[in-house]
Amino acid sequence: MQGNTRRTGVMTDVHRRFLQLLMTHGVLEECDVKRLQKHCYKVHDCNATIEKLEDFINTINSVLESLYIEIKKGVTEDDGRPIYALVNLATTSVSKMASDFAENELDLFRKALELIIDSDTGFASSTNILNLVDQLKGKKMRKKEAEHVLQKFVQNKWLIEKEGEFTLHGRAILEMDQYIRETYPDAVKVCNICRSLLIQGQSCETCGIRMHLPCVAKYFQSSSEPHCPHCNDYWPHEVPEVFDPEKERETGMSRSNKRPSRSRQH
Amino acid sequence: SCQNKHRARERRQQAQVEPQNLVGAQAIVGMGEEFPSSLSSCKFSCRTPLDEKAILLVQFLLRKNNLRESITKEDMIKHVIKKHKKHFTEILRKASELMVLAFGIEVKEVNPTTHCYALVSKFQRTSDGRLRGEEIMPKTGLLMTILCVIFMKGNCATEEDVWEVLNVMGIYAGRKHFIHGDPKKLITQDLVQERYLEYRQVPNSDPPRYEFLWGPRAHAETSKMKVLEFLANIHDTVPSAFPSWYEEALRDEEERARARFAAMLRTSALANVHSGGSGRHSFSHLQ
Repeated sequence: MQGNTRRTGVMTDVHRRFLQLLMTHGVLEECDVKRLQKHCYKVHDCNATIEKLEDFINTINSVLESLYIEIKKGVTEDDGRPIYALVNLATTSVSKMASDFAENELDLFRKALELIIDSDTGFASSTNILNLVDQLKGKKMRKKEAEHVLQKFVQNKWLIEKEGEFTLHGRAILEMDQYIRETYPDAVKVCNICRSLLIQGQSCETCGIRMHLPCVAKYFQSSSEPHCPHCNDYWPHEVPEVFDPEKERETGMSRSNKRPSRSRQH
Repeated sequence: SCQNKHRARERRQQAQVEPQNLVGAQAIVGMGEEFPSSLSSCKFSCRTPLDEKAILLVQFLLRKNNLRESITKEDMIKHVIKKHKKHFTEILRKASELMVLAFGIEVKEVNPTTHCYALVSKFQRTSDGRLRGEEIMPKTGLLMTILCVIFMKGNCATEEDVWEVLNVMGIYAGRKHFIHGDPKKLITQDLVQERYLEYRQVPNSDPPRYEFLWGPRAHAETSKMKVLEFLANIHDTVPSAFPSWYEEALRDEEERARARFAAMLRTSALANVHSGGSGRHSFSHLQ
């Protein structure tokens, strides 16, 4: 998406308003981003043709580039929804949270992050995280406090909680991709298909390669008998459906039906 | 792995000192209200250390933006400016210009004595200080869902009925939601104020219990058939797959058609009065 020959337009108040609203939400799904874009054109009484979303975002990014910021597009690891977030490319990722959290809170995040990356499933249990409370830098934190801090991370969209276990929010993966690869080069897992950072996914029981659920969905979309792309052995896991935005439009209820069980399929 | 982290950090810090493909802050600041994008592809770098600090300050301010807290000079120096504090004013000025040009956000000094600053969007805000557009998020899907529940429960649903369905969607009364914010306030106040829903106490309930009905705006802007279509879509089927609701929706459609027809008749009757028998000529003496 960030090629050197991308077409970019001129940045206007429509783009600025869009940016402000995106920042308010932190991270948004693609359908909401499109809605937001349309709204921004409308509010400025702009009769101009609505720029294609990719071009619209490129226009913004070409300006933000010199501030080491960009709107990055990613995909949720559990059900393949495209998401967009404003990410800070410059500083080390945990310190970018630095002004919002205290030293011991940041350290709690680092501990949780390490457990998540080292885990086989991409999830770290609340218990295991809380057991590390004594090792935190800074002011002493009790377990009760730590529970509250973990909820703060969830509300600020750095972590996701499912049934008492924590994994990284799509937004955190977008922002911390490089940081994680650099900080945990040995423990980090990568998807065999898209080569991006992998936290949750499926793995081959024979050769151990891993794939994101949405990557599995796309790769095996039209095969009746899925085989591992690396060792060709039979792929033993359930192949999820490819995310279809048309089906999801205006159906807030559908999220409950499609709610996938956590992928403990490593 | 601790050493790896340090090494990685060092490498990154070095990378920051040798920027590539950058535009000097002065160049950005020199432009008017609009950023010609061609500027960003300039291959020269005229950044000074103060420019670099201004950029870091922008990043810092953006994080504070969402918290709607005011920011002090002390904060900025402690977290960003550090040893360059003698140049605070200049760095802040550059950062402010960047904020306006890139985001349309102004940095305003709210208290000169305590050196306290606030971030204000240059765009109009609604009366409660929110940016117009924050509320366009898809409560539409949520609203349709609630209208659906009400319809399915015989045009009146208890608050418990509604929460039962919302809980399945991961929306809870006590919990702030990713998109919907405060769901309880949204459905019992905001949507009621906008006349999409009616929220009233179940008659003679003690302790008080509440129920939802369609509001006048829901009746005006959608219909039972549309809501049934919404439900059918979710279940990958057609409205007629729900026979009793389908019948009710059909009757509703018939009534609406009758009402529209009646309205048309009224309008054309009025038109006949004006035009009389002699067509257009009768208007002139009326004017």
